Amino acid sequence: MSHDYDLSLPVDPADLALLKPGDRVYLTGEITSTAGLPTHERLVRELAEGILPPVKLAGGVLFHLGSSLEEIDGRWHLHYVNPTTSTRFNALMPPLIRGYGLRLTGGKGGLSHESAEALAESGGVYLSFPGGAAPVLTDAVEEVVEVAWPEMISHYRIVRMRVKRLGPLTVGIDTHGNSVYDQIDETAKGRRAEILAQLVRDRAGV
Amino acid sequence: MSDDRLVRELGGLLFDRALRRVPDDAILALKAARDGESSEIAKKTLNMQLHSAELAAARDTYVCSDAGIPVFLVKLGTQSPIRADFKASLKAGYEDLVARANPPLLCHVTNPLTLERSHTGKGMPIVTFDQESGVDWVEIICSPKALGSGRWAALELFTFPSLAEIEAYVLDVAIKAGGQHCPPVAIGVGIGGTFDYAAKMAKEATLRPLGTPHREPQVAALEARLTKAINGLGYGPMGTGGDTTTLGVHVEWCSGHGFTPIAVAFNCWISRRSRVRIHPGGELEWME
Repeated sequence: MSHDYDLSLPVDPADLALLKPGDRVYLTGEITSTAGLPTHERLVRELAEGILPPVKLAGGVLFHLGSSLEEIDGRWHLHYVNPTTSTRFNALMPPLIRGYGLRLTGGKGGLSHESAEALAESGGVYLSFPGGAAPVLTDAVEEVVEVAWPEMISHYRIVRMRVKRLGPLTVGIDTHGNSVYDQIDETAKGRRAEILAQLVRDRAGV
Repeated sequence: MSDDRLVRELGGLLFDRALRRVPDDAILALKAARDGESSEIAKKTLNMQLHSAELAAARDTYVCSDAGIPVFLVKLGTQSPIRADFKASLKAGYEDLVARANPPLLCHVTNPLTLERSHTGKGMPIVTFDQESGVDWVEIICSPKALGSGRWAALELFTFPSLAEIEAYVLDVAIKAGGQHCPPVAIGVGIGGTFDYAAKMAKEATLRPLGTPHREPQVAALEARLTKAINGLGYGPMGTGGDTTTLGVHVEWCSGHGFTPIAVAFNCWISRRSRVRIHPGGELEWME
């Protein structure tokens, strides 16, 4: 049985520890996001060089969300926000999760086992955003608080946003490193032989 | 209005429409999937997807932020009087849209050699042509294609494969893609022909309206078997588990030599596509 939770940010580690794969979460508070591969590469490089990130990430949030932003009269206006494929960042997330002790990450499609191990060390959680839910997710954004690396193209920038009941987001990896993606992939591979046998029976019409 | 001008306008309208509107057949398929799901998480995810589609339609905005790259397929009826420079006009229409799009489009067209991104680039939009004998219309299909579902397509060449080998290959491609392509999705399979043609068949098969089995009963049975097999894997909506990973496997085939290419392509849950027919005199029939 999965549960629905309303969480406030910055998140209480004790609340995160309650979450199980399949639970649904709504977030209220400040989040940080980017959809850029070059952004992740730069963050990893600068972390190794001891350069502070342009926005506070320590113990915080980094979601794989791309934003369409426009600067109007010195204020950032958000047109829409939507998740990108997290597995693109498989190689880059373990150092970022460990280096910043990330408590929340997420996007669509999950992360590899190595990231799940890193999340177990940081007490962090991966949240699955529904792909193609731009209208729903954009509704939850109350304000763009800060935009870092504005010289990058819009969805590569690092954006801090204040959100109200952002969600529903599904817990994909919990604080113990239990990953719905690993479990489902293992199940699928385990079913392969039986599915092929069923295809033989279906072809024969029996 | 000149034929060039008409095609130019349609280039922008088709791309814009595909980004804002989930086709009716896809909505029906998603609703049927939700009603049949045994997984509570999957049901909720499908409801969220349907809600997103409704909101995008009500507010006339984009369902997804990734507009992808512009891809057009043009079917030229041999009896159609429409005479246009389709490639140049569709390119101009796409560029008009980029300039006026509201909300603005993000830069997704990527130079593969430098990874620089823009709204336009070499070879954009991709336009391919087919001829339809004996009809007096021109059909233009637009399929904006993005990484989420685009990167999982696969093709392999076999020699005299059995049906069992063909089916096992499609299943293995589905396992490799897992839940990455924003499921539940249409899956297109192209069997036979040549390397390039099998890929084209697979791609076009993803654009066939859902709930429309192949007209040949044997192929329809193959589609039904593969649909059941892939859904048996359990990846489910957005890959977080459930009975619905595919809304339908669509197969197209063609004779070939003993070497048999098998191509598999994926759409995303939005089933992004739009289609218009231009009849003689320029009357438009929006098909989806």
